[in-house]
Amino acid sequence: MEKYWDKDIETMPPEKMKALQSERLVKQVKHVYENVKYYRDLMDEKGVKPEDITSVDDLHKLPFISKADLRDSYPYGMLAVPLSECVRIHSTSGTTGKRVVAFYTQNDVDMWENCIARAITAAGGDENDVLQVAYGYGLFTGGAGVHGGSHKVGCLTLPMSSGNTERQIQFMQDLGATFLCCTPSYAAYIGETIQEMGISPDDLKLRAGIFGAEPWTEEMRQTIEKSLGIKAYDIYGLTETSGPGVAFECSEQKGMHINEDNFIPEVINPDTGEVLPDGEVGELVFTSITKEAFPLLRYRTRDLCVLSRGKCKCGRTLIKMTKPMGRSDDMMIIRGVNVFPSQIETVLIAEGYAPNYIIEVDRVNNNDTLDISVEMKPEQFSDKVKDMQDQERSLALAIKTMLGINPKVHLVSPKSITRSEGKAVRVIDKRRLHDMPAK
Amino acid sequence: MGYVRQISVFLDNKPNQLTGVMKLIKNHNINIRALSIADTKDFGILRMIVSDTEKAVDVLREASYAVAETEIVAITIPDTPGQLSRVLDILGEQNVNIEYLYAFLGKSDRSVSFVIRVDDNDNAYTALESGGIIRLTANDISEM
Ligand SMILES: [Zn+2]
Repeated sequence: MEKYWDKDIETMPPEKMKALQSERLVKQVKHVYENVKYYRDLMDEKGVKPEDITSVDDLHKLPFISKADLRDSYPYGMLAVPLSECVRIHSTSGTTGKRVVAFYTQNDVDMWENCIARAITAAGGDENDVLQVAYGYGLFTGGAGVHGGSHKVGCLTLPMSSGNTERQIQFMQDLGATFLCCTPSYAAYIGETIQEMGISPDDLKLRAGIFGAEPWTEEMRQTIEKSLGIKAYDIYGLTETSGPGVAFECSEQKGMHINEDNFIPEVINPDTGEVLPDGEVGELVFTSITKEAFPLLRYRTRDLCVLSRGKCKCGRTLIKMTKPMGRSDDMMIIRGVNVFPSQIETVLIAEGYAPNYIIEVDRVNNNDTLDISVEMKPEQFSDKVKDMQDQERSLALAIKTMLGINPKVHLVSPKSITRSEGKAVRVIDKRRLHDMPAK
Repeated sequence: MGYVRQISVFLDNKPNQLTGVMKLIKNHNINIRALSIADTKDFGILRMIVSDTEKAVDVLREASYAVAETEIVAITIPDTPGQLSRVLDILGEQNVNIEYLYAFLGKSDRSVSFVIRVDDNDNAYTALESGGIIRLTANDISEM
């Protein structure tokens, strides 16, 4: 029997959902226009007034917001309520030099945590569960968000934060954790460590995991499910919209349901901005219709995915999105070809390698080079040089078949690539160094 | 009958890889009887015969090295011209393929010892025996 956290919303007939969205959107546009000068200027520039927006069908009239707008308006430019009404901030890691600070009122926090509660419930969780939060706590949305959602559901919450893997495993055993929530790369690492410690998944009570905050492949899901003996669910979100919980997987595990009573999704052509029909690949855009403090309208996520509507076997009517096929931030253009790390990861796992790798892109004599260092499994090592070179060559060929460009593959020792406890850094692009002007 | 086992270790292309292995081996009081390194642009493969194979493998695996254990052929031949070439001929006539070989110091300075990695040990043993080549056993090597 499927369980829902918020049955009325999650199984709402689409026409009724559309009416709810329209009502909220109209109110939200007015709120933003009146309180956010930055967006009011964008609307004025485009010649759109709040009165022009009477239903979700008018959404396309509104201007987009991009990450660059958030940078320009940092820190308070997108704030729509007085600071006295805000109770918290979270921030992106700023690894690409563009830190975003998002503000939350108490209502915003409640809305967000309810979204996560829906995800936990959809994964089969309830008040009898022991949920281990191994996302980082702090500015990062993962730890605090899942922690709050877990409280709402009534799970016994283990606020572990990330890191100290042996302690994670000890608590997992001693306190009988049934749910694990962290980044997929950390889940894979915990699985690997459990194996090394000689613990069988059968010795653990763990039965499900909710993993997000970075893109991961279907192959990675199978690896994690096997090593931890669980069902692994995806969760999607970004700090700009709230955090994890914007969309979540149900028991079907075929795409993620979007909490569209709070976030209206659109998919657009990233070059022209034109809205694409459901079923087509494009850039995902979100409009927050319930957020008070940091209500972004038509925010371009840079994630590429496909939307699809239709009643799911789980009974939910919420629109679904596919796993992002890659974030345009992650996308590398190598010799004119678009390359996502996830494509490379798919090949590695299919060829029997662990998903531990570093991609290095450089430019030599005006030619892009692609070097991929991959950890071998101990049993993949041979004392013959030729065997090792053959393995490198056949992996390079498989990657070439997938990408259309020739990489150089370097096998490296097991465990020689640093494990990540949060978001994994897998790409080193050295080309930017060459693009800097000479002094 | 005392087959000789060789340990190979994968060496990443970065500093102090060999030093790391040697330190581990030394700290566990393991002696190295024979050693060679195959180097490529990308990586190295260290091959060695040691006094305590099992312990060495455990210690190295524990430290996350990729380790392989292989049975190899060890022989000793007089240190005079043409001897190695004779061995190669004997093996060649029996269609034994040689993957690699390396020399190491034997018991006497009038003889020289070799580790030979072949694709078919049984075939090689028979060929060497009928050619009158002296094979070293694990015992022979541990007594060196
Ligand atoms: Zn569903």
